Amino acid sequence: MQISDVMVTGAALTPFNRRRDGTGFRDWVVSAFGTALELSGLDRSDIQALYVASESDFFHLQLNPASVLATELGLTGVAATRCEGGGASGQIAVHTAARAIQAGAAKHVAVVGVDPSASSLSGDAIRELYGFSFDAWTDGMTGLTSTALYALSYQVFAAEHGTTEADLTTVTCQNRSNACHNPGAHLHRRDGPQEITDSPPIAIPYQRLHCSPLSDGAAALILSRRDAMPANRATAPTLAGMGAASDHMHLGARENAGSFAAKTQAMQRACAEVGIGPGEIGIAEIYDAYAGAQLQAIAALGLSAEVSRDLQAGAFAPTGRCAINLSGGLMGQGAPVGATGVGQTATCALILEGRYHPELQPQTLPRYALADTHGGVCTLAAVTILERGSSAL
Amino acid sequence: MISHRLTLEYTLHPGWLAPFVEGIASGNAMARRCKSCAGTSFPPLRVCLCSETEGEWVKLSGMAHILFRTSGQDGDFGLVQFDGATTKTTLRLIDIADEDTCGVIAAPKSNLPMLCLTRLPSGRST
Ligand SMILES: [Zn+2]
Repeated sequence: MQISDVMVTGAALTPFNRRRDGTGFRDWVVSAFGTALELSGLDRSDIQALYVASESDFFHLQLNPASVLATELGLTGVAATRCEGGGASGQIAVHTAARAIQAGAAKHVAVVGVDPSASSLSGDAIRELYGFSFDAWTDGMTGLTSTALYALSYQVFAAEHGTTEADLTTVTCQNRSNACHNPGAHLHRRDGPQEITDSPPIAIPYQRLHCSPLSDGAAALILSRRDAMPANRATAPTLAGMGAASDHMHLGARENAGSFAAKTQAMQRACAEVGIGPGEIGIAEIYDAYAGAQLQAIAALGLSAEVSRDLQAGAFAPTGRCAINLSGGLMGQGAPVGATGVGQTATCALILEGRYHPELQPQTLPRYALADTHGGVCTLAAVTILERGSSAL
Repeated sequence: MISHRLTLEYTLHPGWLAPFVEGIASGNAMARRCKSCAGTSFPPLRVCLCSETEGEWVKLSGMAHILFRTSGQDGDFGLVQFDGATTKTTLRLIDIADEDTCGVIAAPKSNLPMLCLTRLPSGRST
Protein backbone atom coordinates (compact mmCIF):
# COMPACT_ATOMS: atom_id res chain seq x y z
CA MET A 1 0.00 0.00 0.00
CA GLN A 2 1.24 3.52 -0.79
CA ILE A 3 1.17 6.31 1.77
CA SER A 4 -1.09 8.14 -0.71
CA ASP A 5 -3.72 5.48 0.06
CA VAL A 6 -4.07 7.14 3.48
CA MET A 7 -6.81 9.78 3.42
CA VAL A 8 -7.52 12.58 5.90
CA THR A 9 -11.23 11.98 6.42
CA GLY A 10 -11.55 14.11 9.54
CA ALA A 11 -9.70 17.23 10.77
CA ALA A 12 -10.40 19.70 13.54
CA LEU A 13 -8.75 22.13 15.96
CA THR A 14 -10.08 23.69 19.12
CA PRO A 15 -9.23 27.35 19.59
CA PHE A 16 -5.64 27.82 20.78
CA ASN A 17 -5.46 30.32 23.64
CA ARG A 18 -5.12 30.56 27.40
CA ARG A 19 -8.18 28.82 28.79
CA ARG A 20 -10.02 30.70 31.50
CA ASP A 21 -13.29 28.79 31.23
CA GLY A 22 -12.65 26.01 33.73
CA THR A 23 -12.15 23.35 31.04
CA GLY A 24 -9.21 20.94 31.01
CA PHE A 25 -7.16 19.13 28.41
CA ARG A 26 -9.51 16.13 28.33
CA ASP A 27 -12.40 18.44 27.36
CA TRP A 28 -10.40 19.97 24.50
CA VAL A 29 -9.46 16.54 23.12
CA VAL A 30 -13.09 15.38 23.29
CA SER A 31 -14.15 18.51 21.42
CA ALA A 32 -11.55 18.25 18.62
CA PHE A 33 -12.07 14.51 18.21
CA GLY A 34 -15.86 14.90 18.07
CA THR A 35 -15.66 17.51 15.32
CA ALA A 36 -13.14 15.47 13.29
CA LEU A 37 -15.20 12.29 13.66
CA GLU A 38 -18.32 14.11 12.52
CA LEU A 39 -16.55 15.35 9.38
CA SER A 40 -15.35 11.82 8.63
CA GLY A 41 -18.88 10.43 8.67
CA LEU A 42 -17.55 7.46 10.62
CA ASP A 43 -18.80 6.01 13.86
CA ARG A 44 -16.71 5.87 17.01
CA SER A 45 -16.76 2.07 16.70
CA ASP A 46 -14.99 2.33 13.31
CA ILE A 47 -11.83 3.72 14.97
CA GLN A 48 -9.31 0.93 15.51
CA ALA A 49 -6.36 2.78 17.00
CA LEU A 50 -5.60 6.03 18.81
CA TYR A 51 -2.35 7.99 18.59
CA VAL A 52 -1.81 10.71 21.16
CA ALA A 53 0.75 13.51 20.85
CA SER A 54 1.64 15.21 24.10
CA GLU A 55 5.05 16.63 24.90
CA SER A 56 5.25 16.41 28.64
CA ASP A 57 3.54 14.93 31.68
CA PHE A 58 4.78 18.01 33.54
CA PHE A 59 2.19 20.12 31.71
CA HIS A 60 -1.00 18.13 32.40
CA LEU A 61 0.25 16.02 35.32
CA GLN A 62 -1.12 12.88 33.69
CA LEU A 63 1.26 10.03 33.01
CA ASN A 64 0.10 7.51 30.41
CA PRO A 65 -2.32 10.00 28.80
CA ALA A 66 -3.08 7.78 25.79
CA SER A 67 -4.96 5.23 27.89
CA VAL A 68 -6.84 7.94 29.77
CA LEU A 69 -7.84 9.69 26.55
CA ALA A 70 -8.94 6.40 24.96
CA THR A 71 -11.46 6.08 27.79
CA GLU A 72 -12.49 9.75 27.59
CA LEU A 73 -13.12 9.38 23.85
CA GLY A 74 -15.22 6.23 24.25
CA LEU A 75 -12.54 4.22 22.46
CA THR A 76 -11.68 1.78 25.24
CA GLY A 77 -10.38 -1.39 23.65
CA VAL A 78 -8.46 0.24 20.78
CA ALA A 79 -4.68 0.16 20.55
CA ALA A 80 -3.55 3.41 22.17
CA THR A 81 -0.07 4.87 21.69
CA ARG A 82 1.52 8.07 22.95
CA CYS A 83 4.01 9.77 20.59
CA GLU A 84 6.60 12.29 21.75
CA GLY A 85 9.37 14.23 20.04
CA GLY A 86 9.37 17.66 21.66
CA GLY A 87 7.86 20.25 19.34
CA ALA A 88 7.59 17.58 16.64
CA SER A 89 5.34 15.35 18.78
CA GLY A 90 2.19 16.04 16.77
CA GLN A 91 3.76 15.37 13.41
CA ILE A 92 5.37 12.18 14.73
CA ALA A 93 1.93 10.98 15.83
CA VAL A 94 0.59 11.69 12.34
CA HIS A 95 3.45 9.70 10.81
CA THR A 96 3.04 6.78 13.20
CA ALA A 97 -0.70 6.61 12.61
CA ALA A 98 -0.40 6.89 8.83
CA ARG A 99 2.28 4.21 8.65
CA ALA A 100 0.01 1.89 10.68
CA ILE A 101 -2.70 2.25 8.04
CA GLN A 102 -0.16 1.86 5.24
CA ALA A 103 1.10 -1.33 6.88
CA GLY A 104 -2.43 -2.71 6.87
CA ALA A 105 -2.78 -2.68 10.65
CA ALA A 106 -5.98 -0.58 10.65
CA LYS A 107 -8.59 0.95 8.34
CA HIS A 108 -9.45 4.01 10.43
CA VAL A 109 -7.38 5.62 13.17
CA ALA A 110 -7.64 8.75 15.27
CA VAL A 111 -4.75 11.12 16.02
CA VAL A 112 -5.14 13.66 18.80
CA GLY A 113 -2.61 16.24 19.97
CA VAL A 114 -2.94 18.25 23.14
CA ASP A 115 -1.04 20.19 25.76
CA PRO A 116 -2.02 22.74 28.37
CA SER A 117 1.09 24.85 27.80
CA ALA A 118 -0.49 28.07 29.08
CA SER A 119 -2.87 27.56 31.96
CA SER A 120 -1.45 24.77 34.11
CA LEU A 121 1.97 26.15 35.08
CA SER A 122 3.56 29.58 35.24
CA GLY A 123 5.34 30.82 32.12
CA ASP A 124 8.65 30.71 34.02
CA ALA A 125 8.10 27.07 34.99
CA ILE A 126 7.27 26.10 31.40
CA ARG A 127 10.33 27.95 30.11
CA GLU A 128 12.56 26.18 32.64
CA LEU A 129 11.14 22.82 31.55
CA TYR A 130 11.66 23.75 27.89
CA GLY A 131 15.32 24.31 28.73
CA PHE A 132 15.56 20.56 29.26
CA SER A 133 14.32 19.98 25.68
CA PHE A 134 17.96 20.24 24.64
CA ASP A 135 20.81 18.21 26.15
CA ALA A 136 19.86 18.51 29.81
CA TRP A 137 23.44 18.03 31.02
CA THR A 138 25.17 20.50 28.73
CA ASP A 139 22.47 23.06 27.92
CA GLY A 140 19.56 22.60 30.36
CA MET A 141 21.63 22.82 33.53
CA THR A 142 23.58 25.76 32.13
CA GLY A 143 20.29 27.62 32.03
CA LEU A 144 20.34 28.05 28.28
CA THR A 145 16.77 28.84 27.32
CA SER A 146 15.02 27.86 24.16
CA THR A 147 15.00 31.51 23.03
CA ALA A 148 18.75 31.91 23.64
CA LEU A 149 19.64 28.77 21.67
CA TYR A 150 17.34 29.77 18.80
CA ALA A 151 18.83 33.29 18.87
CA LEU A 152 22.38 31.94 18.55
CA SER A 153 21.39 29.57 15.75
CA TYR A 154 19.56 32.36 13.90
CA GLN A 155 22.56 34.70 14.15
CA VAL A 156 24.71 32.10 12.40
CA PHE A 157 22.04 31.76 9.70
CA ALA A 158 21.64 35.53 9.27
CA ALA A 159 25.40 36.03 8.92
CA GLU A 160 25.41 33.52 6.08
CA HIS A 161 22.13 34.40 4.34
CA GLY A 162 22.07 38.16 4.88
CA THR A 163 18.61 38.22 6.48
CA THR A 164 17.91 41.36 8.48
CA GLU A 165 15.81 42.79 11.28
CA ALA A 166 13.36 43.89 8.59
CA ASP A 167 12.87 40.23 7.64
CA LEU A 168 12.09 39.31 11.25
CA THR A 169 9.58 42.14 11.27
CA THR A 170 7.94 40.99 8.04
CA VAL A 171 7.50 37.44 9.32
CA THR A 172 6.10 38.67 12.62
CA CYS A 173 3.65 41.10 11.00
CA GLN A 174 2.55 38.58 8.37
CA ASN A 175 1.88 35.72 10.78
CA ARG A 176 0.03 37.93 13.27
CA SER A 177 -1.97 39.53 10.46
CA ASN A 178 -3.05 36.11 9.21
CA ALA A 179 -4.02 35.14 12.76
CA CYS A 180 -6.43 38.08 12.88
CA HIS A 181 -8.60 36.24 10.33
CA ASN A 182 -8.41 32.94 12.22
CA PRO A 183 -11.12 32.94 14.91
CA GLY A 184 -9.33 30.10 16.71
CA ALA A 185 -6.01 31.93 16.98
CA HIS A 186 -4.45 32.83 20.30
CA LEU A 187 -3.23 36.30 19.33
CA HIS A 188 -5.51 38.68 17.49
CA ARG A 189 -3.15 41.64 17.29
CA ARG A 190 -1.58 43.45 14.38
CA ASP A 191 1.98 44.00 15.54
CA GLY A 192 3.89 46.67 13.65
CA PRO A 193 7.62 47.47 13.62
CA GLN A 194 7.29 49.91 16.53
CA GLU A 195 5.43 47.46 18.77
CA ILE A 196 8.08 44.85 18.04
CA THR A 197 10.94 47.24 18.84
CA ASP A 198 9.21 48.35 22.03
CA SER A 199 8.67 44.81 23.29
CA PRO A 200 11.22 43.53 25.82
CA PRO A 201 14.44 41.91 24.55
CA ILE A 202 14.39 38.21 25.49
CA ALA A 203 17.55 37.00 23.72
CA ILE A 204 18.79 39.40 21.05
CA PRO A 205 17.85 39.59 18.22
CA TYR A 206 14.59 38.21 19.63
CA GLN A 207 12.24 40.67 21.29
CA ARG A 208 9.11 39.35 23.00
CA LEU A 209 6.98 39.84 19.87
CA HIS A 210 9.33 37.70 17.73
CA CYS A 211 8.38 34.72 19.94
CA SER A 212 5.39 32.36 19.82
CA PRO A 213 3.08 32.35 22.85
CA LEU A 214 2.43 29.45 25.22
CA SER A 215 -1.08 28.16 24.49
CA ASP A 216 -3.70 25.61 25.51
CA GLY A 217 -5.54 23.57 22.92
CA ALA A 218 -6.07 20.35 21.03
CA ALA A 219 -6.33 19.12 17.46
CA ALA A 220 -7.55 15.87 15.93
CA LEU A 221 -7.42 13.91 12.70
CA ILE A 222 -9.21 10.84 11.42
CA LEU A 223 -7.09 8.92 8.92
CA SER A 224 -8.66 6.25 6.71
CA ARG A 225 -7.52 3.69 4.18
CA ARG A 226 -8.57 4.66 0.66
CA ASP A 227 -10.56 1.45 0.04
CA ALA A 228 -12.48 1.96 3.30
CA MET A 229 -13.19 5.66 2.80
CA PRO A 230 -16.76 6.71 3.59
CA ALA A 231 -18.76 7.50 0.43
CA ASN A 232 -19.39 11.10 1.52
CA ARG A 233 -15.66 11.87 1.76
CA ALA A 234 -14.67 11.73 -1.91
CA THR A 235 -12.98 15.15 -1.62
CA ALA A 236 -10.72 14.12 1.29
CA PRO A 237 -7.02 14.90 0.75
CA THR A 238 -4.32 12.25 0.93
CA LEU A 239 -1.08 12.06 2.87
CA ALA A 240 1.21 12.02 -0.14
CA GLY A 241 4.59 11.85 1.58
CA MET A 242 6.23 12.03 4.97
CA GLY A 243 9.80 12.41 6.16
CA ALA A 244 11.61 12.69 9.47
CA ALA A 245 15.24 13.12 10.48
CA SER A 246 17.41 14.11 13.42
CA ASP A 247 20.43 16.38 13.84
CA HIS A 248 23.19 16.59 16.40
CA MET A 249 21.83 17.47 19.84
CA HIS A 250 24.65 19.98 20.45
CA LEU A 251 24.34 23.11 18.33
CA GLY A 252 28.13 23.50 18.45
CA ALA A 253 28.78 20.00 17.09
CA ARG A 254 26.81 20.70 13.91
CA GLU A 255 28.72 21.51 10.76
CA ASN A 256 26.59 24.65 10.48
CA ALA A 257 24.83 25.80 13.66
CA GLY A 258 22.49 28.03 11.65
CA SER A 259 21.27 25.44 9.20
CA PHE A 260 18.32 23.16 9.95
CA ALA A 261 19.94 20.13 8.31
CA ALA A 262 17.45 17.63 9.77
CA LYS A 263 14.62 19.58 8.15
CA THR A 264 16.35 19.44 4.78
CA GLN A 265 16.76 15.68 5.12
CA ALA A 266 13.16 15.17 6.29
CA MET A 267 11.87 17.27 3.38
CA GLN A 268 13.97 15.36 0.86
CA ARG A 269 12.54 12.09 2.18
CA ALA A 270 8.98 13.41 2.00
CA CYS A 271 9.42 14.86 -1.49
CA ALA A 272 10.94 11.58 -2.70
CA GLU A 273 7.90 9.70 -1.46
CA VAL A 274 5.57 12.07 -3.31
CA GLY A 275 7.80 12.35 -6.37
CA ILE A 276 7.84 16.18 -6.40
CA GLY A 277 10.27 18.98 -5.58
CA PRO A 278 9.77 21.70 -2.91
CA GLY A 279 8.80 24.16 -5.65
CA GLU A 280 5.47 22.40 -6.10
CA ILE A 281 4.30 23.16 -2.56
CA GLY A 282 1.40 25.65 -2.77
CA ILE A 283 0.85 26.40 0.91
CA ALA A 284 2.85 25.57 4.02
CA GLU A 285 2.33 25.56 7.75
CA ILE A 286 5.85 26.18 9.05
CA TYR A 287 7.23 25.71 12.57
CA ASP A 288 7.76 29.37 13.49
CA ALA A 289 8.61 29.05 17.18
CA TYR A 290 10.50 32.30 16.53
CA ALA A 291 10.42 34.69 13.57
CA GLY A 292 13.95 33.74 12.52
CA ALA A 293 13.16 30.03 12.75
CA GLN A 294 10.61 30.55 9.96
CA LEU A 295 13.36 32.04 7.76
CA GLN A 296 15.69 29.16 8.61
CA ALA A 297 12.91 26.68 7.82
CA ILE A 298 12.11 28.28 4.45
CA ALA A 299 15.75 27.85 3.45
CA ALA A 300 16.10 24.33 4.85
CA LEU A 301 12.90 23.10 3.21
CA GLY A 302 14.08 24.34 -0.18
CA LEU A 303 11.14 26.74 -0.54
CA SER A 304 13.53 29.54 -1.50
CA ALA A 305 17.15 29.93 -2.51
CA GLU A 306 17.06 33.62 -1.53
CA VAL A 307 14.91 33.86 1.54
CA SER A 308 15.09 37.60 2.20
CA ARG A 309 14.42 38.59 -1.43
CA ASP A 310 11.48 36.19 -1.82
CA LEU A 311 10.02 37.14 1.55
CA GLN A 312 10.11 40.85 0.75
CA ALA A 313 8.67 40.18 -2.73
CA GLY A 314 5.60 38.62 -1.09
CA ALA A 315 6.25 35.02 -2.14
CA PHE A 316 5.02 33.74 1.24
CA ALA A 317 2.17 36.20 1.77
CA PRO A 318 -1.44 34.89 1.57
CA THR A 319 -1.55 35.56 -2.17
CA GLY A 320 2.07 34.56 -2.83
CA ARG A 321 3.35 31.53 -4.72
CA CYS A 322 3.63 29.56 -1.46
CA ALA A 323 1.48 31.07 1.28
CA ILE A 324 3.09 30.35 4.64
CA ASN A 325 1.25 30.09 7.94
CA LEU A 326 -2.19 31.19 6.81
CA SER A 327 -3.31 30.01 10.25
CA GLY A 328 -1.01 32.55 11.86
CA GLY A 329 1.52 29.84 12.68
CA LEU A 330 2.81 29.28 16.18
CA MET A 331 3.46 33.03 16.44
CA GLY A 332 -0.16 33.96 15.81
CA GLN A 333 -2.36 30.90 16.15
CA GLY A 334 -0.44 29.70 19.20
CA ALA A 335 1.52 26.70 20.38
CA PRO A 336 -0.02 23.99 22.56
CA VAL A 337 2.96 21.74 21.82
CA GLY A 338 1.39 18.31 21.28
CA ALA A 339 -1.44 19.86 19.29
CA THR A 340 0.86 21.85 17.01
CA GLY A 341 1.83 19.22 14.42
CA VAL A 342 -1.63 17.65 14.41
CA GLY A 343 -3.17 21.11 14.03
CA GLN A 344 -0.83 22.02 11.15
CA THR A 345 -1.82 18.84 9.30
CA ALA A 346 -5.49 19.48 10.04
CA THR A 347 -5.13 23.04 8.74
CA CYS A 348 -3.52 21.82 5.50
CA ALA A 349 -6.25 19.21 5.04
CA LEU A 350 -9.06 21.73 5.57
CA ILE A 351 -7.45 24.19 3.12
CA LEU A 352 -7.01 21.48 0.46
CA GLU A 353 -10.75 20.78 0.69
CA GLY A 354 -11.81 24.43 0.69
CA ARG A 355 -13.11 24.11 4.25
CA TYR A 356 -10.82 26.64 5.98
CA HIS A 357 -11.80 29.98 7.56
CA PRO A 358 -13.35 31.98 4.70
CA GLU A 359 -11.02 34.99 4.87
CA LEU A 360 -7.94 32.73 4.75
CA GLN A 361 -9.14 30.04 2.35
CA PRO A 362 -7.29 30.36 -1.01
CA GLN A 363 -9.71 30.81 -3.92
CA THR A 364 -7.85 28.25 -5.98
CA LEU A 365 -7.18 25.03 -4.14
CA PRO A 366 -3.45 24.27 -4.14
CA ARG A 367 -2.41 20.76 -5.13
CA TYR A 368 0.19 20.22 -2.41
CA ALA A 369 0.38 21.48 1.18
CA LEU A 370 3.25 21.09 3.63
CA ALA A 371 3.07 20.68 7.41
CA ASP A 372 6.51 21.29 8.95
CA THR A 373 7.38 20.66 12.59
CA HIS A 374 10.51 20.22 14.65
CA GLY A 375 11.66 19.62 18.21
CA GLY A 376 14.72 21.15 19.89
CA VAL A 377 16.55 23.66 17.69
CA CYS A 378 15.54 21.41 14.80
CA THR A 379 17.18 18.48 16.52
CA LEU A 380 14.28 16.32 15.38
CA ALA A 381 12.36 17.26 12.23
CA ALA A 382 9.14 15.77 10.85
CA VAL A 383 7.31 17.00 7.75
CA THR A 384 4.17 15.84 5.97
CA ILE A 385 3.07 16.64 2.42
CA LEU A 386 -0.66 16.44 1.71
CA GLU A 387 -2.24 16.27 -1.74
CA ARG A 388 -5.64 17.62 -2.75
CA GLY A 389 -8.22 14.88 -3.29
CA SER A 390 -8.92 14.09 -6.91
CA SER A 391 -12.60 15.07 -6.49
CA ALA A 392 -11.93 18.26 -4.55
CA LEU A 393 -12.09 20.70 -7.46
CA MET B 1 -9.92 24.90 39.76
CA ILE B 2 -7.39 23.39 42.14
CA SER B 3 -3.91 24.59 42.94
CA HIS B 4 -1.30 21.93 43.61
CA ARG B 5 2.39 22.31 44.33
CA LEU B 6 4.64 19.40 43.39
CA THR B 7 8.23 19.38 44.63
CA LEU B 8 10.65 16.99 42.96
CA GLU B 9 14.09 16.19 44.36
CA TYR B 10 16.08 14.49 41.62
CA THR B 11 19.26 12.45 42.05
CA LEU B 12 20.90 12.44 38.62
CA HIS B 13 23.97 10.43 37.69
CA PRO B 14 26.11 11.71 34.82
CA GLY B 15 27.48 8.25 33.99
CA TRP B 16 29.91 8.44 31.09
CA LEU B 17 29.84 12.23 31.28
CA ALA B 18 31.28 12.27 34.83
CA PRO B 19 34.72 13.71 33.89
CA PHE B 20 33.00 16.54 31.99
CA VAL B 21 30.54 17.26 34.81
CA GLU B 22 33.21 17.11 37.53
CA GLY B 23 35.45 19.31 35.38
CA ILE B 24 32.79 22.00 35.14
CA ALA B 25 32.34 22.03 38.92
CA SER B 26 36.04 22.80 39.34
CA GLY B 27 36.28 25.22 36.41
CA ASN B 28 38.06 22.83 34.05
CA ALA B 29 37.18 22.04 30.44
CA MET B 30 37.41 18.26 30.06
CA ALA B 31 37.02 17.32 26.39
CA ARG B 32 37.00 14.01 24.51
CA ARG B 33 39.73 13.38 21.94
CA CYS B 34 38.98 10.79 19.28
CA LYS B 35 41.36 7.86 18.89
CA SER B 36 40.95 7.83 15.10
CA CYS B 37 40.78 11.42 13.88
CA ALA B 38 41.98 13.33 16.98
CA GLY B 39 38.80 15.42 16.73
CA THR B 40 38.26 16.96 20.17
CA SER B 41 34.69 17.52 21.26
CA PHE B 42 33.58 19.87 24.02
CA PRO B 43 30.98 19.13 25.31
CA PRO B 44 32.22 15.60 24.80
CA LEU B 45 30.66 13.28 22.24
CA ARG B 46 30.42 9.59 23.11
CA VAL B 47 30.59 8.83 19.40
CA CYS B 48 32.94 11.10 17.43
CA LEU B 49 31.64 12.89 14.34
CA CYS B 50 33.81 10.41 12.40
CA SER B 51 31.85 7.52 14.08
CA GLU B 52 34.74 6.33 16.28
CA THR B 53 33.68 5.33 19.79
CA GLU B 54 37.16 5.06 21.36
CA GLY B 55 38.83 8.15 22.75
CA GLU B 56 40.46 9.73 25.78
CA TRP B 57 39.74 12.61 28.12
CA VAL B 58 41.91 15.68 27.67
CA LYS B 59 41.96 18.93 29.62
CA LEU B 60 41.67 22.05 27.47
CA SER B 61 43.29 25.34 28.46
CA GLY B 62 39.80 26.67 29.19
CA MET B 63 40.16 29.71 26.94
CA ALA B 64 37.58 30.31 24.23
CA HIS B 65 36.79 32.76 21.42
CA ILE B 66 33.27 34.16 21.33
CA LEU B 67 31.72 33.65 17.89
CA PHE B 68 28.13 34.76 18.55
CA ARG B 69 26.42 36.07 21.65
CA THR B 70 22.92 36.89 22.82
CA SER B 71 21.59 38.81 25.79
CA GLY B 72 18.24 39.87 27.19
CA GLN B 73 15.80 38.83 29.92
CA ASP B 74 16.95 35.22 29.64
CA GLY B 75 20.60 36.13 30.44
CA ASP B 76 23.85 36.28 28.46
CA PHE B 77 24.84 33.28 26.36
CA GLY B 78 27.31 32.56 23.60
CA LEU B 79 28.39 30.17 20.89
CA VAL B 80 32.14 29.88 21.42
CA GLN B 81 35.19 28.01 20.19
CA PHE B 82 37.40 26.61 22.95
CA ASP B 83 41.12 26.48 22.20
CA GLY B 84 41.99 22.88 21.38
CA ALA B 85 38.38 21.84 20.59
CA THR B 86 37.15 21.00 17.11
CA THR B 87 33.47 21.43 17.99
CA LYS B 88 31.87 24.65 19.18
CA THR B 89 30.14 25.17 22.51
CA THR B 90 27.03 26.95 23.76
CA LEU B 91 27.38 28.34 27.27
CA ARG B 92 26.56 31.09 29.76
CA LEU B 93 28.57 34.33 29.69
CA ILE B 94 29.43 35.86 33.06
CA ASP B 95 30.80 39.41 33.37
CA ILE B 96 31.93 39.50 29.76
CA ALA B 97 31.73 42.96 28.19
CA ASP B 98 30.13 43.44 24.77
CA GLU B 99 33.51 44.23 23.22
CA ASP B 100 35.28 41.16 24.66
CA THR B 101 36.06 38.55 22.03
CA CYS B 102 37.34 35.82 24.34
CA GLY B 103 37.03 34.46 27.84
CA VAL B 104 37.93 31.60 30.14
CA ILE B 105 35.87 28.82 31.68
CA ALA B 106 34.70 29.51 35.22
CA ALA B 107 33.39 27.24 37.96
CA PRO B 108 29.66 27.87 38.46
CA LYS B 109 28.35 29.42 41.65
CA SER B 110 25.40 27.03 41.43
CA ASN B 111 25.45 23.33 42.39
CA LEU B 112 24.38 22.53 38.83
CA PRO B 113 27.02 21.73 36.20
CA MET B 114 26.57 25.13 34.58
CA LEU B 115 28.99 25.72 31.72
CA CYS B 116 30.19 29.33 32.13
CA LEU B 117 32.70 31.60 30.43
CA THR B 118 34.01 34.67 32.21
CA ARG B 119 36.39 37.51 31.36
CA LEU B 120 40.08 36.82 31.13
CA PRO B 121 42.31 38.12 33.93
CA SER B 122 43.74 41.44 32.71
CA GLY B 123 46.79 41.16 30.51
CA ARG B 124 45.96 37.62 29.40
CA SER B 125 44.76 36.78 25.93
CA THR B 126 44.32 33.68 23.85
ZN1 LIG C 1 36.91 10.96 15.18
